[in-house]
Amino acid sequence: MTTLGSPIQGVTLYSFTRAFHGREYDLEGLIRKTAAEGYGPGLEVIGFSSFRGFPEIDDRFAGWFKDLVAEVGLVTTSLAINADIGIHRDRLLDQDELIEYMRRQIEAAARLGFPIARVQISIEPDSMERLAPVAERYGVTLALEVHADQYASHPRILALRDRYEQVGSPYLGFTADWGATTVGFAPSLIEAYRRRGASEDLLAKVVDLWNEFSEAGPPKDQADHGQRFGRFIALAAQNGRPDLGVDFGINGTGLFGPARVDDWLEIMPWIRHVHGKFFGIDESGEEPSVPVRDLIRLLVEQGYTGAISSEYEGWHWNSWQSPFEIIAGEQAVQRSAAEAAGSRMITDPAEARAQLAAHLAQPVHS
Amino acid sequence: MIPDRIIEQGTLTTDGGRAAVEVRLPWYRALPASCISEVALAVDGVRAPADSLTWTMNGETHAIAELATRADDWWFPLDSAVVSGELPVEAGGEHRVDVELKLYIPYIIIGDGEVLRIEEHDTKTMAAASTKEAVA
Repeated sequence: MTTLGSPIQGVTLYSFTRAFHGREYDLEGLIRKTAAEGYGPGLEVIGFSSFRGFPEIDDRFAGWFKDLVAEVGLVTTSLAINADIGIHRDRLLDQDELIEYMRRQIEAAARLGFPIARVQISIEPDSMERLAPVAERYGVTLALEVHADQYASHPRILALRDRYEQVGSPYLGFTADWGATTVGFAPSLIEAYRRRGASEDLLAKVVDLWNEFSEAGPPKDQADHGQRFGRFIALAAQNGRPDLGVDFGINGTGLFGPARVDDWLEIMPWIRHVHGKFFGIDESGEEPSVPVRDLIRLLVEQGYTGAISSEYEGWHWNSWQSPFEIIAGEQAVQRSAAEAAGSRMITDPAEARAQLAAHLAQPVHS
Repeated sequence: MIPDRIIEQGTLTTDGGRAAVEVRLPWYRALPASCISEVALAVDGVRAPADSLTWTMNGETHAIAELATRADDWWFPLDSAVVSGELPVEAGGEHRVDVELKLYIPYIIIGDGEVLRIEEHDTKTMAAASTKEAVA
């Protein structure tokens, strides 16, 4: 029987995008607030969001950053990096260019003290295989994000998993984003559409369409995904709000993935990091569209000992509530769920640091 | 993503022949200048001629068409860029400013080698400050 897991609590600064972009808090201010208000100890950062000049990181800046993180008692978990394949106007990066583009960011992760680099789905199995020795050289685990409209049992993810198995590097894994396994179209986004003048009739139809897709299960491939996207656009057009169609489509398919919670079992041994994606907290203190309690129970029962970065995505549309209070509310649900599953979330920095190191040193045996 | 943040309130300037305004990146992470696809500036409903537009960022000024090759020139999410164009705007007053930005998102590939391009628009009303040399 698997020993119960005890995930490490944490947050990604992405959750605070609106406050950072609005110049209410600078990077140091956000890190200090994260520690002071107990959103840690896990700290995830997006390189291109938070570090000016990224991926160029000089020793002086790296030293300042690591000293600050240590001083406030946080633990760096994942640095989110990007595969900017389309950075040139006239062509896509070729494989050699892409590997070098990623190498520089993996090096930056190492210099800044992040043991994990989050990479995205645009990195294909061949590239992941070529990046494995790079990851090993820098001691940084590459955790490819499984994000709606994909999901653990999607053919593209299974192809990656199978390649990981062949390659056998302990430095290749996944970041599980809870947005792949949601149970509803977020009510706070419905409220935002209401504030943009969408009728109650149209809003009910949006929810019904999403529920229809949820019952059918996640899209079986990209063509199926495209058809669903088209249905949202058509719905908006038929109801006199063509201006909302793309928004319905992007969010309805790209944020609220309808895979079942146990779909994660397909890749569980390779999950090195988790994005606790969520959209809001309701009057009863629960997340109405993400099954946080079921997801925590699954991770605990599967023995997961890595970090969960609470990733609040509701900031896109929710300009009427403080993200800080909402994140505190979601983390309270996580802690309560871990206890209900017979375990707990790790909130002590020293314990988190030791546990994360052990979690990442574990090679996958399947 | 955050289009309401594009135009910086209170930054419209005029020298009588050209008007300029500060703009912010409506995205959560830095993008290079090469991903700035199209820019439009209008004041009081009058569009600046496209070939008169310039973009000032990281201490350098370029025509919009020149940005396409600048893949190492990063627009950081906290930084304002300045868009300027030929527009005769009177100082003072209340002017309606419209800015349109079309941006490539370089890590999102949709379909066969096509890079996602987003279209964002912002409108704000503000007075224009004169940058004409004061005449003694």
